[in-house]
Amino acid sequence: MSAYRLDGMGRVNRGAPVNFTFDGKSYQGFAGDSLASALLANGVSLFGRSFKYHRPRGLLGAGAEEPNALVSVDRGGGRYTPNLRAPAVELYEGLNARSQNRWPSLQTDFGSINDRLGRFFPAGFYNKTFMWPRSFWEKLYEPSIRRMAGLGDAPTEADPDTYSACYAYCDVLIVGAGPAGIDAALEACAARKHVILIDENDELGGGALADPALAAWLETSLRDLANAPNVTLLRRTTALGYYHDNFIGAVERLTDHLAQPGHGAREQLWRIRAGEVVLAQGAIERPLVFEGNDVPGVMLASAARTYLFRFGVAVGRNVAVMAVHDSGWKDALAMAKAGVRIAAIIDLRETVAAALVDEAKALGIRTELGSAVIGVAGRQAVKGIEVSRADGSMRQKLACDAVLMAGGWTPSVHLWSHSLGKLAWSDDWGAYLPDVPNENCRCVGACGGKWSFGSGLNIGALPSPRDPATFKAFVDFQNDVTAKDIALAVREGMKSVEHIKRYTTNGMATDQGKTSNLNALQLASSALDRPVQAIGLTTFRPPYTPQTFGALAGHAKDALFQPVRKTGIDPWAEEHGAVFELVAQWRRARYFPKAGEDMHAAVNRECLAVREGVGIFDASTLGKIEVVGPDAAEFLNRMYTNPWKQLEPGRCRYGLLLREDGFITDDGVSARMAPDRFHLTTTTGGAARVLNMMEDYLQTEWPDLNVWLTSTTEQYAVIALQGPKARDVIAPLVAGIDLSPEAFPHMAVREGTICGVPTRLFRVSFTGELGFEINVPAAYGRHVWEAVWAAGQAHGITPYGTETMHVLRAEKGFIIVGQDTDGTVTPFDAGLDWAVGKKKPDFVGKRSMARPDIVASGRKQLVGLLTDDPSVVLEEGAQIVLDPNQPVPMKMVGHVTSSYWSATLGRSIAMALVAGGFDRMGETIYVPMPGKTLTAKVVKPMFYDAEGSRLNG
Amino acid sequence: MILIHCPYCDETLPELEFAYAGEAHIARPLDPSGLSDEDWERYLFIRANPRGRHNERWRHVHGCGRFFNAVRDTVTDKFELTYKAGEPRK
Amino acid sequence: MVDAALRTAPVPADPAVYDGVTITLGTPLERRSLRARDAKALGKLLGRKLPEQIGRSSEDVLCLGPDEWLLRAPAGTAVPDGAGLPLALVDISERALTLVLEGPRAIDVLQAGCPRDLRKLTVGEGRRTVFEGVEIVLLRTGEDRFEVDVWRSFASWLHLALTTAASHLR
Repeated sequence: MSAYRLDGMGRVNRGAPVNFTFDGKSYQGFAGDSLASALLANGVSLFGRSFKYHRPRGLLGAGAEEPNALVSVDRGGGRYTPNLRAPAVELYEGLNARSQNRWPSLQTDFGSINDRLGRFFPAGFYNKTFMWPRSFWEKLYEPSIRRMAGLGDAPTEADPDTYSACYAYCDVLIVGAGPAGIDAALEACAARKHVILIDENDELGGGALADPALAAWLETSLRDLANAPNVTLLRRTTALGYYHDNFIGAVERLTDHLAQPGHGAREQLWRIRAGEVVLAQGAIERPLVFEGNDVPGVMLASAARTYLFRFGVAVGRNVAVMAVHDSGWKDALAMAKAGVRIAAIIDLRETVAAALVDEAKALGIRTELGSAVIGVAGRQAVKGIEVSRADGSMRQKLACDAVLMAGGWTPSVHLWSHSLGKLAWSDDWGAYLPDVPNENCRCVGACGGKWSFGSGLNIGALPSPRDPATFKAFVDFQNDVTAKDIALAVREGMKSVEHIKRYTTNGMATDQGKTSNLNALQLASSALDRPVQAIGLTTFRPPYTPQTFGALAGHAKDALFQPVRKTGIDPWAEEHGAVFELVAQWRRARYFPKAGEDMHAAVNRECLAVREGVGIFDASTLGKIEVVGPDAAEFLNRMYTNPWKQLEPGRCRYGLLLREDGFITDDGVSARMAPDRFHLTTTTGGAARVLNMMEDYLQTEWPDLNVWLTSTTEQYAVIALQGPKARDVIAPLVAGIDLSPEAFPHMAVREGTICGVPTRLFRVSFTGELGFEINVPAAYGRHVWEAVWAAGQAHGITPYGTETMHVLRAEKGFIIVGQDTDGTVTPFDAGLDWAVGKKKPDFVGKRSMARPDIVASGRKQLVGLLTDDPSVVLEEGAQIVLDPNQPVPMKMVGHVTSSYWSATLGRSIAMALVAGGFDRMGETIYVPMPGKTLTAKVVKPMFYDAEGSRLNG
Repeated sequence: MILIHCPYCDETLPELEFAYAGEAHIARPLDPSGLSDEDWERYLFIRANPRGRHNERWRHVHGCGRFFNAVRDTVTDKFELTYKAGEPRK
Repeated sequence: MVDAALRTAPVPADPAVYDGVTITLGTPLERRSLRARDAKALGKLLGRKLPEQIGRSSEDVLCLGPDEWLLRAPAGTAVPDGAGLPLALVDISERALTLVLEGPRAIDVLQAGCPRDLRKLTVGEGRRTVFEGVEIVLLRTGEDRFEVDVWRSFASWLHLALTTAASHLR
């Protein structure tokens, strides 16, 4: 192939030269070039190595369908993208592109030995050969195959770019800005509809860009559309998927074409909802299947036409055309008239429209009807072809430096298929056309079968006098699938296209078979001697072309990856060196290490400080629900296991919430603020779930109740002050509340002020110590926290985090729903039957507590564990067995749910769910761990101050 | 992303504002303790799970907050209609 | 009233200014969740006429659901608590804070993460909706002015999301 730039042709800007490199070598192109056209213009024909056989490959196409010319672009600083299609890479100053899948170089690739060993690599080879011995697969076969086969290298650095996303609405979305798409846009624009017109290319126009006759029309039309206020034009934008209810995902490339990417987003994800979708995606020309059809320089006729008329590049100085379709003739004639020498037009058809033949003759072009190319000379570039009559006679050689294939046209029905629109086979096209839509969608132009490329033959492979088993004629260029692979698949019993596809991998590459599916179908149809329609069609799935992960993530990257909820006290914790953990969406302080402390040391210190003095803890994340209305107590009585109607205003109660199946789903301490007003608390992670569940019962089961629920989680900052000195710390700050134990007992709530801020002050304890939970309006949380912190200095106040909170509550045997319960634990299993109102006729989950499997014996029950070696801390989640000497797999009777080092007790403690646990008090259980078996005694889950005397300080 | 019509807001809105809430028209028995184990099991666990037309509940959780009923085809994922909670099966 | 100087907010007090949009922390408000079957009884208690169509607002009250309204009044406005009545008033003044987006591109910044068609939200209307999974109450208070009420713990994330979207405007 000896391509060259023609003077005065194409749309590139000759006044704007652009320097770039390919595999380290410098070249020059022009503004408006693609990497493919610029390299072609520099005489480069070799673009890459094939996936499996490492065969030299050049350009097949000029657009999104390109299967061969995949390159990596490295912009430095982590901006590296593999597997870009060279025709889709816009040229910019300094572009640095590399070929892929070759070693040590594109010209000399050791992997090409695979090509000569090709007869040992038939379809299904990997599956058949590398199965045994099994252990070799992971260690030897797969790594070796991965090194040899494959596409570009994955990036190794973090992507420094940002990405954006948006939603958009329009009356009419048009995908594809070729002549048909532009016409549709003009029509919708005139009807005053809000139109979005998107196209994947940098220039709008599609096929019109390669048709000088349409240049004036294109310019006027695009100007009209650009000036219309109701039209949005999106260039460099790929509609990647078509989803329910006319929802289209599209990615707009913003900076990849710029020499300096700047600081803006690299790509933008458009989430478009359209009233009507008009698909104008055009059609893709089909290659022809013959020996040597993958030699660099053999390409689609339409691609050559595009390179000539859009980019001013002739693909060769002596170009042969192999056609089974009129469009190849038209392309050849147009190119000839533009000054490209056409060596010959070969057509398998005995008769071709006289006008085409006459025009070719008039231009002095040699024509060979009823003939086919049966071989291509050259390995890294075309040197000539061998042609014979269809019956194999009259073999002759012909010099040329490029071969153009015109195998007919396949409408691009990808998005139509995503939308679940039905397809119908067309003999005229030799392809599937859109038939019945599933959405408000229509196809216009070539993708709807409404464009005339002329007529042609539908064939699987060109005839050859040679035995088809002796040569490679490629069907799927990207996955190196040949005609004989398809034949083999059929011989081995594959009858459906789904099986043939998986067996041969045809159509499974990144191009999803844009140029190969129909040829494979035709070959299978011939081999099976069944009509194409009987073989089926594989389903197209998004994305239409490969997209970056960044584009799909949109702005959900780094700090915006997912919402992180922070309390008003969070900044204080950060300033004081807290180590954080995520609890549901919340960021919570886990512990506050001092210099040199690890978590263990910090937690020990925090625990002792609470037990001996006073600790301060940010409990703002606790879920809170205000239940208000005349029927509030009745409602809670129906929801929770325990009775609520007799609870006096000013008093609190521990509430246990079950699902209707009888299992614990949440718990929390709640207070009656007034006869018709309750302040509920839920677990941090359960807040939304509990509110949803309660709303469900209220709205749909008991809509007659006059009670309403409002989430107040975020209304209040909650400061837990726990420890024997807690009262001393807040006493000087609180006004309007008698803090004495007699006036303000455990499990009571009072309203007053603290540091001048209104508060709902709870006297509650999740530690077993004297404790208060100070609820103040969230905006004042930080202020009150700091005031309490200052007041506490004289008492040695210590901030503590969730880890210490967990240890302290475990010492008291208080459960954490979701840690000590797992959705299969009843109140009885958890030892919480005291919290169940036995006399209540009904509450959510009550009936299920009498289910046969729930009253059965042997259920897992929550117990305490004390290891025989007090220094050993069991692992949470560790499995428990009764007999450590039984054969593997052992019978597991439960697992450790909570386990900590207790600094207060100077030993480890644990809680566990154990089958029949309540009846095993004092028994030894076993915890098998790697290399050892640990032993522990079953005890009651109450390790500290069983009589509860410390609650009063 | 499907569109769902909220019968309370009378607007057709993106799925992201809604949450699925299981099969519709399964009323909680008035006196659960009077039910046999079999009847309770039927209420608690047994669902129609049809291939095709399905009466189901949704909640406009990030909107008006209401639970409502819908008829959706489980094969095509298309909504036939939505209606307010408490209205008879459609 | 408590000294406003003691308040803290999780987003910067200074406006974030971009080409086409400015994002500002709104002033504190008296917010109440208002619930009742009977809008007239509730309106009578409050001395205001409540809007009865979801999304409409009048006299500082936005209708969010068939039995739900949101009062957003100047801080310090006295509001009864409705004790003993078959309705519910809950103080949620500090549950949310307001981010104000003003400028011709404000709608584009919001449409970056809000899946609703915001062109259909007319001036004076408001809705509960989402921005990239974070629940918000969105009010259009002018052709080019929107107020976003977001729960306090989400505010720093949402502020970053909105300012990032604003920085990506082209």
